Amino acid sequence: MRRPGWLLAVPAWVWLLVFFVAPVLQVLWFSFGYKPGIFGTHANDVLSFDRYAEAVTPTFFATFQNTLWVGIAGTLLCLVIALPVAYWMAAKVPARHRGVLLALVLVPYWTNFLIRTIGWQIILSPEGALSHLGQALGFGPLDLLYTRPAVLLGVVYNYLPLMILPLYVAFDRVDPALREASKDLGADRLRTLFGVTLPLAQPGIIAGIVLVFIPLMGDYITPTVLGGARGMMVGQLVASQFQTAQNWALGAAMAVLLILVIAATLGIAALLAWLVTLPFRARRRLRLGEA
Amino acid sequence: MGTRRRAASDVALTVWGVVVFAFLFAPIIVVVISSFNSGRLLVAWQGFSLEPFAALVSKPAIRDSVIVSLQTGAISAVVASLLGMLAGIALARRPGRWAAWFIGLLLLVSVTPEIVDAVALLPWLVFLGQDLGMPVFSDGIVRLVIGHSLFSTAVVSYIVRARLIGLDARLEEASADLYAPPARTFLRITLPLVAPAVLAGALLSFTLSLDNTVIAAFVQVSGSTPWPVYVLSALRSGLRPEIAAVSTIMLILSLGALAVVWLVLRRSGDASNQIARTLAGG
Repeated sequence: MRRPGWLLAVPAWVWLLVFFVAPVLQVLWFSFGYKPGIFGTHANDVLSFDRYAEAVTPTFFATFQNTLWVGIAGTLLCLVIALPVAYWMAAKVPARHRGVLLALVLVPYWTNFLIRTIGWQIILSPEGALSHLGQALGFGPLDLLYTRPAVLLGVVYNYLPLMILPLYVAFDRVDPALREASKDLGADRLRTLFGVTLPLAQPGIIAGIVLVFIPLMGDYITPTVLGGARGMMVGQLVASQFQTAQNWALGAAMAVLLILVIAATLGIAALLAWLVTLPFRARRRLRLGEA
Repeated sequence: MGTRRRAASDVALTVWGVVVFAFLFAPIIVVVISSFNSGRLLVAWQGFSLEPFAALVSKPAIRDSVIVSLQTGAISAVVASLLGMLAGIALARRPGRWAAWFIGLLLLVSVTPEIVDAVALLPWLVFLGQDLGMPVFSDGIVRLVIGHSLFSTAVVSYIVRARLIGLDARLEEASADLYAPPARTFLRITLPLVAPAVLAGALLSFTLSLDNTVIAAFVQVSGSTPWPVYVLSALRSGLRPEIAAVSTIMLILSLGALAVVWLVLRRSGDASNQIARTLAGG
């Protein structure tokens, strides 16, 4: 007698349906409702898209813009910083040291997110050591904390390991013989990098961008600790609607909008990447045809 | 000429690598150093002292929050590794059309921003606890365990599935051919095979739970505030060196758990690349 295959997965199915799918659907439902009076949090007897309209009024829209700016700039900075590091770890560091370096990348990743962000608050604080050093050297006191650049620094720091790891795995899979072959065939080092190594590492680049961009857009801790009023992000807006304003309908609409913005941005990025690489791919196909 | 340029670029790469690693560790080192600050404010260094560490014993609010965190971590590790183990075994050994749907669900759970999970769970738990009259969902620890177990369940499922896919299914078939009933095959063959992955997954779940701040901040009930939420609220009232001191202790606990994971996976034959991928959350 063979039991159906999914039987063992039933407990996890039920758990995730009850505590993940159902709550998220409930939030979606709330987003079409409204806040009834001062003491109510939500009501759904009249359904409308009004909360979505409310969520993009100028006050809130600025925060969505700021979030998207930090999200895109932060992801690109992570990519630019992580690419050489991952390549160095996978191709230049002797194989026996790679395990240690990987472990070292994982240490910050597994250190409490809030605590390492507070570490930056200490570093950037006007009363902190860095600020004193700056003053001793003749600069004024450090005025970086509670600004948008501070948030950008914080998110780049917090999500950098999530970019390094997939890139490392991707570079590690590229056979060194392919780079050698490219050089043997007369390609210079830059051409090998852009023609062979990076295209082969593409899955890692895509994975890194997705892994960094999605949680970064929903970040609530980093802007709370480093951003203050000048570096607000959508995560804080959503949280304040649920915790202080007690307007669950509006908060729900903002949460749904946040997910839509993330999905749309990734969709547009994929389309752009496809368009930009189109000429390269066409040329490569042509070459193969000639040969 | 060519070799000299190559050497220069290699040096540049190495320098960049070292700078980035220094960047990755800077705030952690700062927090560890700050735990020995004798001053009243975390951000302003006064002098060396061990006193901040005493807060773990002397301040009931801090002590209780650490205990709540440890309790929640242990229970959610058990829940997530049990659910994830069974799901991972089913995914590896009985794949089918259901598996595609299930993996889709696991992916959704892992990519959904935490803040969305958090604001979704809060009203849902209120609904279950008050509107449907199930008081268990008003219990602080139960709420935290539910919130912390979602992502961890997905992580354990990935790890167990990856481990079992790499092992020969004929081991279980041989056991069945030798007339072992399914239950005995499961207990004597499958379970020992997945044990290292489940242990690693449980420790990761424990660490994930200790770190969880966002979901915890929303679903927590006053009276069972976990450590990170205590820190988050201290952020508003002013951070003291004791926050850094207790964080340093928690950091050592987390890293200890990770080191055990590394050893367990190493002994079960994983290469460091695979381990790193596991530790990065599947």
